[in-house]
Amino acid sequence: MAQTQEQVLVAAEEVTKTYKTGKVEARALRGVGLQVKAGDFLAIVGPSGSGKTTLLNLVGALDSVTSGRLRVLGNDVTTMSKRRRADLRLRELGFVFQAYNLVPVLTARENVEFVLELQGVGAERTSRAMEILDELGLGEFADRRPNELSGGQQQRVAVARAVASKPKLILADEPTANLDGENAEVLLGMMRRLNTEQGITFVFSTHDPRVVAHARRVVTLVDGRVAKDETKGPSQSADSQTGIVEP
Amino acid sequence: MIRRVAANYAFRSLFRHTRRTLLSVVGVGVGVAIALFSASWVRGAIRMEIRAAVESGAGHLRIVPTAWLDKRENSLRLSHPDEDYEAARSLRYAQVVAPRARTNGLLAFGNRSAGVEMIGVEPEAEGRLSRIVQRAEIEGRYLEASDAGKVVIGKDLAERLDVLLDDELYVTLSGADGMQGAMFIIVGLVETGSEDIDSTFCHVTLDTLNEVTGYSGPGEITILLTDYKHLTAAQRQLARRVPPGDTVLTWKDINPSYAAGIESDRAFTKILIGIIILVVALGIAAAQLAAVLERRRELAILSALGMKGRQVISLIVLEALAIGLGGMVVAVLVGGSGAYYLASHGVDLEALMGGDASFGAVLLDPVVYGDFGFWLIWYALVIAEVATVGASIYPAWMAVRIDPADALRTI
Repeated sequence: MAQTQEQVLVAAEEVTKTYKTGKVEARALRGVGLQVKAGDFLAIVGPSGSGKTTLLNLVGALDSVTSGRLRVLGNDVTTMSKRRRADLRLRELGFVFQAYNLVPVLTARENVEFVLELQGVGAERTSRAMEILDELGLGEFADRRPNELSGGQQQRVAVARAVASKPKLILADEPTANLDGENAEVLLGMMRRLNTEQGITFVFSTHDPRVVAHARRVVTLVDGRVAKDETKGPSQSADSQTGIVEP
Repeated sequence: MIRRVAANYAFRSLFRHTRRTLLSVVGVGVGVAIALFSASWVRGAIRMEIRAAVESGAGHLRIVPTAWLDKRENSLRLSHPDEDYEAARSLRYAQVVAPRARTNGLLAFGNRSAGVEMIGVEPEAEGRLSRIVQRAEIEGRYLEASDAGKVVIGKDLAERLDVLLDDELYVTLSGADGMQGAMFIIVGLVETGSEDIDSTFCHVTLDTLNEVTGYSGPGEITILLTDYKHLTAAQRQLARRVPPGDTVLTWKDINPSYAAGIESDRAFTKILIGIIILVVALGIAAAQLAAVLERRRELAILSALGMKGRQVISLIVLEALAIGLGGMVVAVLVGGSGAYYLASHGVDLEALMGGDASFGAVLLDPVVYGDFGFWLIWYALVIAEVATVGASIYPAWMAVRIDPADALRTI
């Protein structure tokens, strides 16, 4: 691990987000204050419409705040240009989406390689992509396209893609929503391993109790506000109960 | 810069809807093929029209007295005929150099008369320069260098004057000392099939003309080049060598209305090709826009992963380039075949024009052949790519505008 546990990767102060559709305004976040520290394995939970995905999108520099202050990896994303936000996403953040969202016309290896290519990595990107896939136990699927992979395999390739750019922070929006129990455990085990071995910080938006069980910290959002922020003790997280599930 | 995986992505995306892509390619191909066919026809026709103009007497270049530019009088003579002639003869690209003089006159026989522009020529040079002399059916013969007091006239002119071969025409000409009269024996009757030419043709030797008019030397030197492509270089070279007092003109200066007609043909072709590009582009734009909208979520994901606007544009443009390239191949096959047919079989202009293949005093070729060559490939490539890449701008702009958060939230 390169970073200390106390290093703050995300600092949100009184963050609000309001969506406007015509004359109708919907307040998704109503003053969120949150800090994400390096090494966190954090689950944001809450009922539908509580603002989980909105918060994740703001932290991921996919969207801009309506008011408040939000710093991500030392960058004030409230004032960043679209281009700089894209650069931040490319170089320092990783994303895992609910519906896998791999590029269907590219193989598993190419999906991982694509991110490296966007980063401007040269010829070694192919071997690096293979290394990552091998490391995550996906080497044998490298030349398969997403439609030739199971949902669990696709989501693991999506994690490999997120890891490819060596991000400090990976944001995962309902990553296990479409997975059965076994695949969800494999995926979460893989993420825990990346968290503990490589020090990658994970922030999940989830309804899934399996994710919550693995999380070391759980932030509950209700009506766009942080209602609860719990850090589990060592005996409370799933890895200490069941051990890390290898892929 | 487009990299390998991005190129794979763009290329394979085209085959998500193979039928749509093929229809786009065929649409581009057929549109460009029509443009190629039109261009082949117009290029061939223009080449023929220019050749017809220069070989019907205008020549590629003509040395005239500088004053002729303002006055256009037939009585004007070259200031330095010998130097001009030598300059023309020494021109690298000169094929034929033909000195001439002109005068206005009245031909009379019995109680019939007709006004003409009589041209004094050097028969041997004129025979090599003029397609009218070469191609016409001549009753009797054309002029010879020693023909003093002899004239060759058009068949229709002869009919109007009611004269036959060997008849003697009374000719009244404007000369240096006023009106001059002379008797000329008709040694040849020229028939080209063109009413304009056959009713105005009137040639005598240059010496005969000058003897009657009292002027000396040629009023112009007409030059036929080995190839039209040397026109500009030859004009520049010759202009440097011709002494002051005389000047060098091109066939366009001699026949401005004819040249304007050719330019308007060119302009029309460009407009036609422009319309074809526009129609093709609109079709491609619609297909590509549909492709972008279908992939809205996917493009949003790529944007979320950090793909920048210019990289998104590159992807869409690359897809358009591939469609354009496919369209080019179709266009070269279809349009190239049509152009090849035009170039090898031609179109019978005489049949189309009712038997009179002429334009004023220009004797056109009876069959027009299209132009065929490697230019077709470049033409197809440029038109297809301009149309498809131009058409991809709007879909690419739409793709760049996709807001990843919004797209991920709403799709």
